Amino acid sequence: MKIRTCWYAALLAALTSLNLSAQTVTVITSFPKELTAAYKTAFEKTHPSITLEILNKNTVAGMAYLRELPVGQRPEVFWVSAPDAFEILAREKLLDSVVDLKNPKVPEKIGAFPVNDPQGFYLGQALAGYGIMYNTRYLKANKLGTPTEWQDLLAPAWFGHVGITAPSRSGTMHLTVETILQSDGWETGWNTLLRMSGNSAAVTERSFGVPDGVSNGQFGAGPVIDFFGLSAKYSGFPVEFIYPVQTAIVPANIGLISGAKNTAAGKQFIAFTLSQPGQEILLQPKVSRLPVLPYAELTGKVPAQYPDPQALAARSTVTFDNEKSSARYEIVLKLFDQTITFRLKELQAATKAIFEAERKLKGVTAGPKAEMLAQARALAYTPLVDQKQINDPAFLKIFSGNKKDPEVNKAISQFESDWNTRSKERYEQARELATKAAQ
Amino acid sequence: MQRLGGPALAALGILGLLSVFLILPIATVFVSAFSDARGQITLAHFAVFFQQPLMLESFYNSLYVALSASVAAALIAVPLAYLTVRFQFRGALLIQTLGVLPLIMPPFVGAVALQLIFGRSGSVNLILNDWFGVTLPLMEGLNGVIFVEALHYFPFILMNLTVSLRNIDGAMEEAALNLGARGWRLFIRIIFPLAMPGFVAGMALVFVKVFDDLGTPLVLGATNMLAPQAYLRITQVGMDDPMGYVISVMMIVFSIFAMWLSVRVLKGRDYSTLQKGGNALQQRQLSKGESILAYGWIGLIMLLVLSPHLGVLLLSFASVWSFAPLPDGYTLAHYATVFEQSPGMLSNTLLYCGLAAGIDVLLGTSIAYLILRTKLVARHWLDWIASAALAIPGLVLAIGYLRTFRGVLVPGTDVLFTATWFLIMIAYAIRRLPYALRSCMAALQQVHHSLEEAAASMGATRLRTVRRVMIPLMAGGMLAGFVTSFITAAVELSATMMLVTKESQAPMSYGIYLYMQSTSGRGPGAALGVLAIVAVALGTYASHWLVSRHQRLTQIHRPQG
Amino acid sequence: MKKVSVECRDVSLSYGTTDVLKNINLTITPGEFFALLGPSGSGKSTLLRLIAGFNSLKTGQLLVDGVDISQVPAWQRDIGMVFQNYALWPHMTVWDNVAFGLVERRVARAALKQRVQDVLELVGLTDYAQRYPGQLSGGQQQRVALARTVIIEPKVLLLDEPLSNLDKNLRTQMRQELLALQRRLGITTIFVTHDQEEAMTTADRMAVLHHGVVQQIGTPVDLFDTPINRFVAEFVGSMNKLNATVQEILADHLVVNFLDGMACTIAKTAVSPSLLNALRVGASVLVCARPHQVSLQHNTQSSQGTSQVSSLVLPGTVVAKEFMGQQTRYFVLSNSQQVMIDQTHQLGETPYAVNAQVMISLPISNIKILDT
Repeated sequence: MKIRTCWYAALLAALTSLNLSAQTVTVITSFPKELTAAYKTAFEKTHPSITLEILNKNTVAGMAYLRELPVGQRPEVFWVSAPDAFEILAREKLLDSVVDLKNPKVPEKIGAFPVNDPQGFYLGQALAGYGIMYNTRYLKANKLGTPTEWQDLLAPAWFGHVGITAPSRSGTMHLTVETILQSDGWETGWNTLLRMSGNSAAVTERSFGVPDGVSNGQFGAGPVIDFFGLSAKYSGFPVEFIYPVQTAIVPANIGLISGAKNTAAGKQFIAFTLSQPGQEILLQPKVSRLPVLPYAELTGKVPAQYPDPQALAARSTVTFDNEKSSARYEIVLKLFDQTITFRLKELQAATKAIFEAERKLKGVTAGPKAEMLAQARALAYTPLVDQKQINDPAFLKIFSGNKKDPEVNKAISQFESDWNTRSKERYEQARELATKAAQ
Repeated sequence: MQRLGGPALAALGILGLLSVFLILPIATVFVSAFSDARGQITLAHFAVFFQQPLMLESFYNSLYVALSASVAAALIAVPLAYLTVRFQFRGALLIQTLGVLPLIMPPFVGAVALQLIFGRSGSVNLILNDWFGVTLPLMEGLNGVIFVEALHYFPFILMNLTVSLRNIDGAMEEAALNLGARGWRLFIRIIFPLAMPGFVAGMALVFVKVFDDLGTPLVLGATNMLAPQAYLRITQVGMDDPMGYVISVMMIVFSIFAMWLSVRVLKGRDYSTLQKGGNALQQRQLSKGESILAYGWIGLIMLLVLSPHLGVLLLSFASVWSFAPLPDGYTLAHYATVFEQSPGMLSNTLLYCGLAAGIDVLLGTSIAYLILRTKLVARHWLDWIASAALAIPGLVLAIGYLRTFRGVLVPGTDVLFTATWFLIMIAYAIRRLPYALRSCMAALQQVHHSLEEAAASMGATRLRTVRRVMIPLMAGGMLAGFVTSFITAAVELSATMMLVTKESQAPMSYGIYLYMQSTSGRGPGAALGVLAIVAVALGTYASHWLVSRHQRLTQIHRPQG
Repeated sequence: MKKVSVECRDVSLSYGTTDVLKNINLTITPGEFFALLGPSGSGKSTLLRLIAGFNSLKTGQLLVDGVDISQVPAWQRDIGMVFQNYALWPHMTVWDNVAFGLVERRVARAALKQRVQDVLELVGLTDYAQRYPGQLSGGQQQRVALARTVIIEPKVLLLDEPLSNLDKNLRTQMRQELLALQRRLGITTIFVTHDQEEAMTTADRMAVLHHGVVQQIGTPVDLFDTPINRFVAEFVGSMNKLNATVQEILADHLVVNFLDGMACTIAKTAVSPSLLNALRVGASVLVCARPHQVSLQHNTQSSQGTSQVSSLVLPGTVVAKEFMGQQTRYFVLSNSQQVMIDQTHQLGETPYAVNAQVMISLPISNIKILDT
């Protein structure tokens, strides 16, 4: 008999937990638990009839998930760092207009970048910069200098001490990559990225893998979004965060998904995040984000030494082009994966050999060995898609086709396979040449 | 001529359940892998798989890691097993404990902890570097996965091998001694071949489990393996990405192949030679030198085995732990955070795992009854189908569910089936069913059918006999099966990751994973991990106690002969 | 091959505080087929295993061919042992099982092949060389076990209850084959059994063990006809035991009294040596005779018993009988003591029914006096 009552109780619990409450707002977000928990607590307090549901997914997975769901079954809010993700969703008609939810106190631009979507499909909710986070203990133990610019991470001393992640797994890494590509130009930018990756110890699975690794001393430094670095610092970890000059301050956006269940409640949440109490949450040390609301509106809540987004944006040399970024989104992701993420070992080996050769050939700029070295560098650090190809609209079109079409799938796979194989060959060749040059 | 009796109906019901929740989803996976956009059969996706260097590399890596981990696990387990059985050794109890410790740790939690201790800037390497200027790349790349998996799964080989060794009749060895063989030759020619079945069974199990594991490679960032690739493709490229299904099919085929191979190798080699009244292998004394070696080896293994537990414990209390052998300071704040923020996860785990274990016991008992007590045609199919779940990676089952039930609404509501926790629970139940079934079969086999016949001859109906005679006598085994199901479901991550759609749905395992996603979340994640370990340890202990208590009680009931 | 002797001198062995073998002294002559007989727990298997080297003695010496081998490890003793359950290795073929000892001794391939073939022929299993033990019958397995052991030409052959796993008919056949094999090879053989028929039919000499102590050593006839004490008397063959008291002790004779007052005079030579010194008037003793030494007649005149000079005659009632084929065993109750009488069965005859009144006749010269 006791067993039977247990079964009934369990069944009852099961049914009640099916959550048949009508007022649930589901949010897809890539933000960490500290932030979402803080918002959940605050929002539910002021809106007792609404329950906030968090779906934690990285940007790419979140987008894929969204695409799978039929109208009427979708979550209400999409809330991630990368603006280009929103561009893509807007193009795919997955977002509703949110013009009427704008907070008038929020400035129009940050630097030269618009805070809100001109078309009105998403709003800037926070500001994010990209920079370098480093572990002071690690640096001290390995006798590394404090990095201030991206270029600092390319030095031979940094070999094996950098942590990076792939743009396919991290919206913020993608933004960092695009920032570098847009400020340096396609080919020079890839040169920087390849060399930085050559210096890296690993390509982590999620964007948090880099700040996590730096925090616990696995890596010396790495590119991270500012709040990861700042929140770790304020949590007491021996880390520091700096914004290089070559950085972009871009909005982290929030959008209303079309075809959701509880659109009205979703709107309430979005409005909340843009309100003063909602923006104040961003200033909590565990969250450490930059608000879109100017500091004038948040007097008394801003901690000392807190970065000033407007100042940073003014200092930055990069004007982020969202259109460009979203047009070549797929290509950048796949190129990075096939030539860096999945070929890291070979790239590292080539880099090591090149550093060794550079050390041996210090000062020598002419002669067969120097030529071999130059060739090695060219092989290792030149992207397989050149300037011409990336500007070719026909090329871009291939990657924006319907993936369900086997022809499209085949063509894309062909490129991926090609990049993968060729980059392996090139890295190995580079390594050989560099080794020979060092002899 | 025969109306559909109770047992037949039950069998059909069970078959229906298994069809919908096991056969159908797996079939869907296979179909998706073999059909193109227009729905026609094609091998094109497989062609693409074999052409992509990344896929081939992942395939090779998965095989390499699974094989290496099996070998490493064997290296750990064989000396321990031999020490336990062969020598009069007070450390034998120690070894038994060693054999249980790894199993109560969720592997991905262990991976994080091992990173802290053995990683490039982990405690061990920091100290080594300071003192000797060397570092051990134990956790680099695939090595890390092999290391973690070997440490986690070696108990499977240890347990099976120990049983096998214990079953060797001492006379086998004495006959060899008598004819002049001893030491190494004795071991290689006689003892090891006779213990081979246990060894092979253990290795095969480890191989399949490592091959299918998602959590550990993902947490360690080793994405160029099959399971992580399947996961990444499905979640990032979408449900329609054919590659994810191709990988799933490859994983299933290979798991089944590995298990079939082991069965083949063991065919006709049941070497349980120990007869009633026979002696097991003679136990010897260890010489002083051998003693030191033995304790040394056990000590080393013990340290390794305990290191993830220690690491997690430290992490759960650490305020800040960065680039240092030990944390900077200690705090209880993480536990507070967990109890504040995530009491729901604990209740979710209890709910999902409890229900899943309950279903497993119900199904397991029913299938056991149908197989052992009825003469239904093709009843063994139920056993085979249920046991086939062993070869299906959790990840693949989850993918199958998402595909099969896509767009399906819970009847009467507008809630998507895939958005409820129901599928999570079912995935646990189906995947754990083989173990529960084995427990129930063993339990029922020990109940002599004359006991039930006696009840029947006194007028009890079949159902009443089941309820009043069979189930109470099986109770111990059923409870043990329940607990086993429960504790293995509680640390499951592969299927959970695919199926959880909301944070409020998350059970503890997923909760730990979520926490680990941010720097300040590692402490609470570790705290939750410690709670999970404690829960599982209690469960394991309870299960052992229940089984031994039950055995003591039912010995009286067992009729002789 | 040289035949060797085996000698145990004051051999004792204990497990913890339990003494399992106490002061064993026996000598087995070269080429002898020697049996160790005793019930389970008597220590016979322990002694055998000690000789094989699987136990170590606490005190005493174990000599093979005059050399003390008690410190020599088992694998160096060159003593072959056939185990009770044969211990054939299931993962090896018959050939490999048999060749094992030679492989360990690094015998050259050609010679090995020849010897294995020869031995297989010796035991009649040439066609079974490639079979696995699991495919053989019990008798065949035993022959493989034998072959495996004799092939290494051991100095001593030990057999641990070799026939106990076979069924009755096979047993009778096998014991003669075993003996024939042993004679042919000439190896000193010790074999352990709990079955006195097995020991009696095959052994040259045997030793009876009880609780780790050697009770008596001798030829089967010796042990059967002149058992030294009650245990041996009962263990080897069946024995009738009638209670009596010592009435008078004379120079060469003894007068004993049965419980109902009947006395009879018995020569002192019939008394067991260990009892002779302990004889007192009034002591209780057992008057013993083998069942076949007692004869049976119908008690037509309802006479009482008489004690004549040459035999004891007692009345009794048949309470049970067992037909054993070649003889019938009658259980007769006489003065509340039960007597077993074996009578040769004549074809077609069943002379005494249950409840028949009979006279038991026991020739005095067949009587033995044993301790109680």
